[in-house]
Amino acid sequence: METQYKDVEVVNRGSSFNGKDLTLRFLALTLTLIAAVLLGVDKETTTVAITLVPSLPPVDLPVTAKWTHMSAFVYFVIANAISCTYAATSLIVILATSGKNKLASLVIIILDIVMVALLFSAVGATSSIGLIGYKGNSHVHWDKVCNVFNKFCHQVAIAVFLSFAGSITYLLLIVISALKLHKKF
Amino acid sequence: MASSDAQEAPLKSSTYEPEYKSSFGLVVDVALRVLLFATALAAIIVMVTSEQTKMIPVAPGKLMPRTAKFNHSPAFIYFVAALSVAGLYSIITGALSALALLKSHGHSTKLQAHFVMFDALLLGIVAAATGAAGGVAYIGLKGNSHSNWNKICHIYGSYCFHFSASLILSLISSITLLLLVWLSVYVLSKKVARR
Repeated sequence: METQYKDVEVVNRGSSFNGKDLTLRFLALTLTLIAAVLLGVDKETTTVAITLVPSLPPVDLPVTAKWTHMSAFVYFVIANAISCTYAATSLIVILATSGKNKLASLVIIILDIVMVALLFSAVGATSSIGLIGYKGNSHVHWDKVCNVFNKFCHQVAIAVFLSFAGSITYLLLIVISALKLHKKF
Repeated sequence: MASSDAQEAPLKSSTYEPEYKSSFGLVVDVALRVLLFATALAAIIVMVTSEQTKMIPVAPGKLMPRTAKFNHSPAFIYFVAALSVAGLYSIITGALSALALLKSHGHSTKLQAHFVMFDALLLGIVAAATGAAGGVAYIGLKGNSHSNWNKICHIYGSYCFHFSASLILSLISSITLLLLVWLSVYVLSKKVARR
């Protein structure tokens, strides 16, 4: 057991996390942070004209769209906040151990993969709901809402795009880790 | 296979241990890929057969037959497409893993590194499909009063039951892919550590 541990140390000496990894991690941190904040502050109030009584002119009613109204959006914000926090934590851990700790790097790869799953599912959920909001669904009479809440929908779309870019970044991190493990062999 | 290996393990001397470990990893790998194929296929079948027609009151005293089908929502079309890709992928990689197992000298490291990348990509695709279908199904179950989207699951009971079963299966698929990536990374880092 003791000799094996020594071997690990010897192999691991030449392999610190390189600049590419750190850059990508910082990119993921920024993208998911912006996505979470963008959807987290998303709120729009507009007035819609509703005819209550046919003989009277329509009355203007204020309606509000907020991100907490949709459970998929809440999930999106939470998932992005988690992966943003994780990116910051992993950055600190890598910088603190300068990538030489074998266990820390293995745990970081494993958690990177969890973040891929988390972020992709959040992007999927939000974009499917956003698509219904944008196009509506005639089969179940879910009317589109994006013709009313224009700014709100745009903000959701941008947040989804940014979060998608963030999840691609995590995917690239895994590819880099796999290539690095392969190269070391 | 796995249980017999586990029983033999204490008998072997420590020099054989690395060999045993790599083959054990391969057996688990093949088993997980078979599980992935089974869950993906079952999820697709359950989703595609989820058609239900019901008489819905469209006006007072008037009933109209209305059909709920999976391809009425783009999210579910994506779901079926993504899981088909996952099923196909699991056949190909499962065959590669089984071949490596039969040759009994384990994966080449190159293949294993590629498995990590493509498994991670597939994990992203399947997780996105699960999220998309789950998001829509949740609204179907609970409705959303803010956007005036009514729930439909109290009308289409068996349709929604199919959906929830399919969602659980695809969730198992994503977890299987997650475990596959973990396994490959673990085996790779063990191999690297041994050198």
